[in-house]
Amino acid sequence: MGGDYAPEEIVKGAVLAAQKDDVEIFLVGTASVLERELAKHKFAANGSSIHIVGASEFIKENESPVDVIRRKPDCSVAVAAKMVKSGEADALFSAGSSGAAAISAIQFIGMLEGVYRPAIVGSLGSFAANTVMVDLGANVDCKPHQFLTFAIAGSVYAKKFLNIADPKIALLSTGSEETKGNEAVREAYSLLKNSGLNFIGNIEGGDILNGKANVIVCDGFVGNVLLKFYESIGGRAQAWTERKLKRYPPIRALAGLLFKRLFPATKISNETEKQSGGILWGIDGVVKIAHGASRAPQIANAIESAKEAVKAGVVESLKSELARLNQGGKL
Amino acid sequence: MNVEEQIKDILARITRVDKSIISRQSTFKEIKADSLDVVQALVAVEETFGIEIPDEDAQKFQNFGDFVSYVESRVPQKEKV
Repeated sequence: MGGDYAPEEIVKGAVLAAQKDDVEIFLVGTASVLERELAKHKFAANGSSIHIVGASEFIKENESPVDVIRRKPDCSVAVAAKMVKSGEADALFSAGSSGAAAISAIQFIGMLEGVYRPAIVGSLGSFAANTVMVDLGANVDCKPHQFLTFAIAGSVYAKKFLNIADPKIALLSTGSEETKGNEAVREAYSLLKNSGLNFIGNIEGGDILNGKANVIVCDGFVGNVLLKFYESIGGRAQAWTERKLKRYPPIRALAGLLFKRLFPATKISNETEKQSGGILWGIDGVVKIAHGASRAPQIANAIESAKEAVKAGVVESLKSELARLNQGGKL
Repeated sequence: MNVEEQIKDILARITRVDKSIISRQSTFKEIKADSLDVVQALVAVEETFGIEIPDEDAQKFQNFGDFVSYVESRVPQKEKV
């Protein structure tokens, strides 16, 4: 039961999700707090139900996420992960510490065969509708073989959610030549080249938005910096345009209207409002994490999209792609 | 399989490095094991050998050899063979 606005917004979001859709939700955390919060809301069941599962501990923001494993194995996110492992729940969602959620998932749900660590895949939205990027921040330091599993996860995402039959995969680097990039990227190039995947080689930053690749692979450090830069573009473009047009009020008003109606800043360069975080790809179950600052509507969206991911069978698809490569000894 | 080989297998599986590069002198950094790898290895070793390794003891391990020596000192003699 983590998140900047927990438990109020989380419970409110769960109620919203239950009202919208037929879904069974387990709220995991301090039972008395959750009962009190849930009692504030009335919702028509609509085939849905909300249950409370007690957990005595939680991971605080200043605690190391690794503590989940040895010091707090009964904290709320760990309890939720164990429910996925046992089959009591189909998916885990958390707006709390992303690290704690990831580590709980790794330790208590487990990784798919051939995957070292989970990754976050995200679509680039309006500017590059047919492109996804992976990893967006789950792995700051990466080993070369991780890039290969990132490519597979991105490829499954592009097939499932963007309907691209044979996604083109590229490695983000400082030049198109095989010899460009840091040591991990250069080693990853060789692994991807021999993987049998639809690998088109390296691309540079300037190619990210031009549709050259459907899956752009990078480490989580680069991916997270790029994601946040990208997300900031819409708002900055709006602010810059309005400032430049300050002396021309009618045109400025028109520009404001355009940004508001036709090109809302959040839609120009990100869709996180709708997507509300991301799935941890590579875990043997659906695990969705969201920004800590998510409010009830984003929480409800995240619960809905976790349900969609379960229905779409994303874990099974990734598992079978991994198995195919494993058979060829590529992983 | 002796204690050292068993721990080497665990560490190699978790970190996904070739076990041949792990020697008693190897530091966790050299094996490219991050804090999660180390904690996962500790848990796996605890489960494998039925022992508990307190954090204050684990923090003293400077290299793989320290880890192995510690476990060897805690595991009943018959299991070392």
